[in-house]
Amino acid sequence: MAQSRAHRKMSLGPGFWPVTIALTIVNVAISYVIAVFPFEQLVPIVGAPADQIDTLFRFMSVIGNAIFVYVLGYLVYFAIVWRWRPSDGPDAIGVQVHDVPKLEFWWTVVPSIIVAIIAIFSVRIWAGMQNTPGDVLTMEAIGHQFKFEFRYPKMKNSVYDSMHVPVDTPVTLNVTSADVLHSFWSPSLRIKADMVPGLVQTLRFTPEHIGKYAIICTEFCGTQHANMAAALYVDSQQAFGAWLSAQARQQGQASAPVALGSGQAAAGQALFGQKCSTCHSIGPFNQKIVGPGLGHLFNDPAHPALVTGEKASPAAISHILISGYQGPIGVMPNRQANALSNQDIANLVAYLTSLSQKKQR
Amino acid sequence: MAVAAHAGFIGGDTHDHIHPEPQGFIRKYVFSLDAKVIGIQYMVAAFLFFLISGLLAEVVRTQLLVPRGAILSNDTYNGVYSLHGSSMVWMVIIPLMTGAFGNFVMPLQIGARDVAFPWLNLLSFWLFPVSAVILFSSFLIGAPDAGWTEYPPISVQGPAGTSLWCIAIFLIGISSTMTGLNFMVTIVKMRAPGMTFTRMPLFVWASLATALLNMVATAALSAATAALFMERQFNVPFYDPTRGGSPLLWQHMFWFYSHPAVYIMILPGFGIVSEVFPTFARKPIFGYKMIAFSSIAIALLGFMVWAHHMFTSGMAPWLALPFMILTMVIAVPTGIKIFSWLATLWGGKIHFHPAMLFSLGFIATFTFGGITGVFLSSVPFDYDAHGTYFIVAHIHYVLFGGSVFALYSGLYYWWPKITGRMMSNTLGVWHFWLTFLAFNVTFLPMHLLGLWGMPRRVAQYQLHPEFQFWNDVASVGSYVLALSTLILIYNMVQSLLRGRRAPGNPWNARTLEWMTTSPPPYYNFRTIPAVLKNPYNFGEPLPYIGLDEAESAGSTHPPAGSSPLPAHA
Repeated sequence: MAQSRAHRKMSLGPGFWPVTIALTIVNVAISYVIAVFPFEQLVPIVGAPADQIDTLFRFMSVIGNAIFVYVLGYLVYFAIVWRWRPSDGPDAIGVQVHDVPKLEFWWTVVPSIIVAIIAIFSVRIWAGMQNTPGDVLTMEAIGHQFKFEFRYPKMKNSVYDSMHVPVDTPVTLNVTSADVLHSFWSPSLRIKADMVPGLVQTLRFTPEHIGKYAIICTEFCGTQHANMAAALYVDSQQAFGAWLSAQARQQGQASAPVALGSGQAAAGQALFGQKCSTCHSIGPFNQKIVGPGLGHLFNDPAHPALVTGEKASPAAISHILISGYQGPIGVMPNRQANALSNQDIANLVAYLTSLSQKKQR
Repeated sequence: MAVAAHAGFIGGDTHDHIHPEPQGFIRKYVFSLDAKVIGIQYMVAAFLFFLISGLLAEVVRTQLLVPRGAILSNDTYNGVYSLHGSSMVWMVIIPLMTGAFGNFVMPLQIGARDVAFPWLNLLSFWLFPVSAVILFSSFLIGAPDAGWTEYPPISVQGPAGTSLWCIAIFLIGISSTMTGLNFMVTIVKMRAPGMTFTRMPLFVWASLATALLNMVATAALSAATAALFMERQFNVPFYDPTRGGSPLLWQHMFWFYSHPAVYIMILPGFGIVSEVFPTFARKPIFGYKMIAFSSIAIALLGFMVWAHHMFTSGMAPWLALPFMILTMVIAVPTGIKIFSWLATLWGGKIHFHPAMLFSLGFIATFTFGGITGVFLSSVPFDYDAHGTYFIVAHIHYVLFGGSVFALYSGLYYWWPKITGRMMSNTLGVWHFWLTFLAFNVTFLPMHLLGLWGMPRRVAQYQLHPEFQFWNDVASVGSYVLALSTLILIYNMVQSLLRGRRAPGNPWNARTLEWMTTSPPPYYNFRTIPAVLKNPYNFGEPLPYIGLDEAESAGSTHPPAGSSPLPAHA
């Protein structure tokens, strides 16, 4: 013990402070390079929130680089300075120091603070991504083995393998899958969401730079996973409008209205099991899975109105089925995402009506 | 035979009787109850599987030499990378960390004659080659193709071999659970007299934390693979969303095991480094208690972070935040370990033995992988990097640069104890530098490729031919890695054939496994010693009394009997 105390009074070893200064200079230099490095030239960015994610990456890279350079620098420096030399003799031992509580306190506290800063910064950017105002253009992307399908509001048919969005327009993209897992990723958006069958996830972004970007599947989906990709076109407002009307001309005009009278409750029941029962029970309103129970839709005095505020009626229900609903507890996909035909909607409404009638008797 | 294990309870008593060693070949080398033999069996089998899975990795790198894919069809390639991952995790790193070094070193380090349940140990071991054979035989009927994670629904539709994958992973999971239980009881109940928890070597602390993880977490994996098997074979819709199942159920169950499994694969490595550093720096480990407790902290926190693998999978978005914060918290105890190892170097008399070089290399590469791990735990950045080659780079920095470097370090460190022969240091130094350089050439470019837009698990990248240059760099690096492994193999073979005989304690180390002959006798210690102090105080007499002097003669330190400390055992 006396020996270790004597050593502790000693200097930190030959060259400790010069090395520390040198490592600090290296760190400042590398931090500068990271701060000005043009990531957006390696992978061009589309717009928000990609710019914020780049800022976060830059910030973490500066901190991570600093920690790594110090650890590696001291590792190499200690290994050289404190190496065993033949002149020490075969039985030479090192400084018998067991711990220095003050040092250990600080190397617990300082990393905790660094981690807290990274966490706070990440949460802020995450919150910004959640609170993006938007829904100016709401569209769907659906993964298939091995292509991306895109659906636009008021457009009858889907577009495959290319996604057009207008510049400076907040986009809400609901993604899901028709078969196995896929993932919607554009390196230029810096965000992705897995495409999960039976589940809808939402991505929000605002394209700011006109151009063509990559969309890539990043969740293994089968033999041709490696070649599952699409192109993201950010168009000017005029070009997007022109593209949209060209698509609409090609496809004929919007679909015919739903004929509710033609619904078959039995067919609706089968469909309900496939498309709805993951989130909705057929019990009373409070028997929730994700959304409310739908068994008493038309005869529940406690809940006469739908979540949209409309009075519960077959027509109002069909509106929700067609356009979907986004509320605080989750997203109900629209008809495109659920792949519901007019007849499907009529069948579902007939089934839900029959449930309420059954419960009344 | 099992009775021999109980001898540990009456350690310190020179009159405890030692069972005779079994003589038949089968009982001695095949169905042995001796933890040391079982450890060597694990080591030999896992090293063989390491070479096989390493060759699969070379096939992967060869395929990616050109954008269209050089040698394989997409389907074959998907099977190759899936088996590479599955086998490296379950048939190589976990068995080497717990089965091989755990079985050989841990009982010796606590002064026990064997593990608590030798028959259970025997069963644990034999499940391992059986499951490995089942796993590799899936090549014959169509190898699983959805990666080592086997996410449904694609894994439900996958080739027939996916069911064999389920069986293999189920069996190896059972084996892991049993090993965890066995080690837990052994460490808690069978330490030599006087070896309090704070006198245990740090590898034992790491094994204790690992045993906890193995015991608790692995059940989730077994359940998940059993359910996947039932869905594939009997059409029970656990994971089918169209029939009320959930694909996310698999992901939660899988990662509830596989995140702790990351720590199963690294904590014993931390333990190895914590043994190697004091020995070759001739210094006590710095901050013993902090290193020991941080292992336990990492193990406990490791249960609470699994969903950080699922930020993009479709959880409720806010749920990502607690998982992100808890994941970042793990960086703190991990940092404590790294800083403590650095401080152990300070003021040392460092010998650059290959074991030490690999431990030093471990610090460099594992720190790098740990830092990218914190990056990935940040939810917004993970939205970008998840599922890309950035992840591939990260996992190889922690599993190769971390676990495998630590295993190499442990191999050089304990090889004389295990075989009774010395290895060539010169070859070991070459092996280290070649491995270290080739490792970085192979995996560093993958960070860039990932952020640039290359997804993981792709057989081709013909849509992005600009990725070719860095893929080729990585492939060349991987070939050098393979060559460096040949140096290790040559070193091991020449050591076994004509290596110098190893003394009991060639490195002047101070933990108990060095206080007996190399290789240790069947009963480990003729007399179980009593332990007086923490093992790492260089410059003091050894803290053991009651050791058999002839057995511990290999040590150049004063014989244990001459300790000036009062005998109170």
